[in-house]
Amino acid sequence: MRNSFARGPISGILVRPEERPLGRLSNVRWSLLLVALMLSVVGAATVHSASAEMPIDYLPRQAAWVGIGLLLLFVALSVDHQRLASFALPLYMASLALLGLVLVVGQVRGGSRGWFGLGAFAVQPSELAKFTTALMLARYLAGVEGEHLKLRQIAVAVLIVAAPVALVAIQPDLGGAAMYAPMLGAMLLVAGIKKRLLAVSLLLAVVGGGLAWTYGMQPYQRDRILTFLSPETDPQGAGYQVRQSKIAVGSGELLGKGYRQGTQSQLRFLPARHTDFIFAVLAEEWGFLGVAFVLGLYGVFLFGAAEVAVRARDRLGILLVVGLLATLGFHILYNSAMVVGLVPITGIPLPFLSYGGSFTMYAFAATGVFLGVDYRRYVNR
Amino acid sequence: MTTMLRSRERKEAMVGRVRLLSALVGVCLVLIASSYWMVQGIHGAEYREMAENNRLRRVPIKAPRGVLYDRESRPLAENVPSYNVSLDVRAARSLDHSLAFAADILDRSVDDLRRALAEQGDILGIRPARLAENLTLPQVARFQLAALEHPEFEIEVDQLRLYRHREQTAHLLGYLGEINQEELSRSGGEYLRGELLGRRGIESQYEKVVRGDNGERVLVVDSRGRRIEEQRTETARPGRDLQLTIDLDLQQAAFRQLEDKVGAVVALDPRDGEILAMASSPSYDPNIFARRLTGDAWRRLVEDPHHPLQNRAIQNAHSPGSTFKMFTAIAALEEGIASPGTRVFCGGSAVFYGRSFRCWKRAGHGSVDLHQALKQSCDVYFYTIGQRLGIDRIGAYAKKFGFGRLTGVDLAGEKQGLVPSQEWSQSVRKHPWYPGETISVSIGQGPLLVTPLQMAVAIAALANGGRLPPAHVAKPTGGPRAVDPDISADAWERVREGMRAVVMDWGTGNNAKVVEAPQFQIGGKTGTVQVVAQHTWMKPHELPWEKRDHAWFVSFAPVDDPQIVVVVFVEHGGSGSQAAAPIARAMYEEFLRKRPDLRDPGKA
Repeated sequence: MRNSFARGPISGILVRPEERPLGRLSNVRWSLLLVALMLSVVGAATVHSASAEMPIDYLPRQAAWVGIGLLLLFVALSVDHQRLASFALPLYMASLALLGLVLVVGQVRGGSRGWFGLGAFAVQPSELAKFTTALMLARYLAGVEGEHLKLRQIAVAVLIVAAPVALVAIQPDLGGAAMYAPMLGAMLLVAGIKKRLLAVSLLLAVVGGGLAWTYGMQPYQRDRILTFLSPETDPQGAGYQVRQSKIAVGSGELLGKGYRQGTQSQLRFLPARHTDFIFAVLAEEWGFLGVAFVLGLYGVFLFGAAEVAVRARDRLGILLVVGLLATLGFHILYNSAMVVGLVPITGIPLPFLSYGGSFTMYAFAATGVFLGVDYRRYVNR
Repeated sequence: MTTMLRSRERKEAMVGRVRLLSALVGVCLVLIASSYWMVQGIHGAEYREMAENNRLRRVPIKAPRGVLYDRESRPLAENVPSYNVSLDVRAARSLDHSLAFAADILDRSVDDLRRALAEQGDILGIRPARLAENLTLPQVARFQLAALEHPEFEIEVDQLRLYRHREQTAHLLGYLGEINQEELSRSGGEYLRGELLGRRGIESQYEKVVRGDNGERVLVVDSRGRRIEEQRTETARPGRDLQLTIDLDLQQAAFRQLEDKVGAVVALDPRDGEILAMASSPSYDPNIFARRLTGDAWRRLVEDPHHPLQNRAIQNAHSPGSTFKMFTAIAALEEGIASPGTRVFCGGSAVFYGRSFRCWKRAGHGSVDLHQALKQSCDVYFYTIGQRLGIDRIGAYAKKFGFGRLTGVDLAGEKQGLVPSQEWSQSVRKHPWYPGETISVSIGQGPLLVTPLQMAVAIAALANGGRLPPAHVAKPTGGPRAVDPDISADAWERVREGMRAVVMDWGTGNNAKVVEAPQFQIGGKTGTVQVVAQHTWMKPHELPWEKRDHAWFVSFAPVDDPQIVVVVFVEHGGSGSQAAAPIARAMYEEFLRKRPDLRDPGKA
């Protein structure tokens, strides 16, 4: 699905802009949208299967979220990201305000006060903040001169991220707060960071993790990590989830049990099967075949989006794509690793597959930005 | 241009780092994909089995145990429904609330129930845990009335073994106990964990017959254990009912006679070895075992100095005392040592091997022949013929009558007793047989040990003319074992006549006579076994209980056509005529109540 218009290795500089005028929509890497839609269809079908024994069928709602997501995608595509970046600060501040507001008037779900209820739907301002924080960070880092970031500049970048992280952490949603880390890390890395600094920050991350373990974590969070390390100790808690998820995945074997035939998902053994563990349902019902297909689609999406960053010519575009993509990539890798029992369980949805409004909107909006950056790669530099 | 170039270089560096990140993501994707391959491709079959185990719940259907009936088809051991309540922790909205609710109904403390749950800790959250057993019907009703509000409680109906006659049939029937780990692994899956199996008595001996085969229901369940559908059902094969040879009336009569005493009563049919009654005292209530015995109750049973768990009819061997004299007599008649007319003078004692041996009657019996010696139980007479026989010939005849080996009765735990011989003395006691011991053995004292059942079988052989019947409670355990009937009819006749005189002609067994039925001819023999040697200076009732004599009474009736043998043994009961013979009379009275035709055979 490679765009026929883009020839050879693209390094922006070599392509003459006058030959590629703005306004040729065939210029856009539509394969990203196609893959996103394919994943959304697979996701909606799996959500339908997963909610078979649930009080309601989540398929219509998920379809609605995908529709809203597509709308956001075209909005994001139509707005020049340079222009969008000029509104980065007010957008960022507004997000922080919403994060503050949700602490007061938000609904409590899964133990944290992080949701605005809108009738049947509920949205997390944290996902919006992730988007605007990436924008804010991209704008700040794009304006930085020099080959490598200075310590002061890194500190500013960390502070930009620290504000929403703190607000999300006190909901309390430590998992959600941690999701800002891949974005920050990837953007700092791409913006330019000295190897020595990289080593120091990795060290800081380890020490910080240790401190968080000792002082920052709730007992249940510690339990989750411990039961990940030895799942048999807690058959009904987090260990139960890991175990049931692995049984679902493994019992799918090569070809799966068939659509809506998964005993683990249909008989309610899998918790959170329409959201965080949707991939286990897919693995059970479609087997390794389905897993490979979906991981392949994710691969196409991730590398395609990375290619957008590579062929973008403006620093802001590259950083924005990297920042938004880092979150999506981390979600994909972490969630699929979690479902097969490689990493501890935390509430991380899978983009386009998991049921959920906020993150679906984030994923489509981010895709819209990717397409927009790609679309304007000859204009912005 | 320089800024342009610098910007270009900077861009190239960024692109390089983006590619680095992409590569990292690619490696992670490959690693994750291979993990899925490991789980789904390599270990898929194992996980598929785990998913099946998740999905299917096997609910055992317990086979009802066979009912045990007496010979007149009156139930002795049967099954009654027992209601148990289980708690499904997953369905409970608040465990505290549920436990408080149950504690109120069950009249137990919340802590108590919490302990009951904690004991089953490993199954919590996987399937419902047993909270309490043997609920009363009002309790069941209260749980069921609250079913909507408290769906976490499940009432399960189980079969509870009921021994209707409790202590009266305890030793005979045995009881049920929970299977232990070793038996469980040895059974090869035939038994379920926590299942009850027969312990002791008939329940143990005929476990395979009365148990039946468990069935199984395989249900498809969801993660909360709720039943989705039934996959298949294997019905249980119920255990076979068993009719015993026991006559409940005789059994109850025997037990009533033994109450407050320590001892055993055996009644059997000498013609075929059917055991009509077998009672042992003290006894226990076998029903307490089926209701999960507490450690305390178990300790009380085990530590009781009178060993209530022991079936004294087959598990306690004692010296037979004077009841052995018939067998000494037969040996002497057969060996030509004595004839019916042989007379021995009894002066109250006699000297053998330089030691004086007393007759129980210190004044002496004067000159006695065999008939008188049996009737009066003259010790000196039997000392004299016993000495002439020698221990090995006495032993050989004792063995012919089944002493010293198992009767083969279909009850677990039988003891074989002991018949001494010179060879036994050398090999077991490591010293030679003392000739003086032969004198003791000839009147049933010394190292001669028999069980009440062995005695009953031997008396049956005396009664029916020499055939040792196969003693049994449920069914013949093989062909009749015949003793060598190489004993002259005359010897039988003499001994039987002597035994008849013991009871009917004012002999030592006079207390066994059924006064109301003077025509019912009983042959018997008393036995009094000294526990402490030579204590005649004290009156029996002045002695401490454990030093008093053991009392025996052996008998059969009617003498002309023997149909019942009654053997009574009372530990430390005193004399056979005072302590044991009246018990036998009570047995004969009960027997005659059912067989009025034998009351006065002349009329028939």
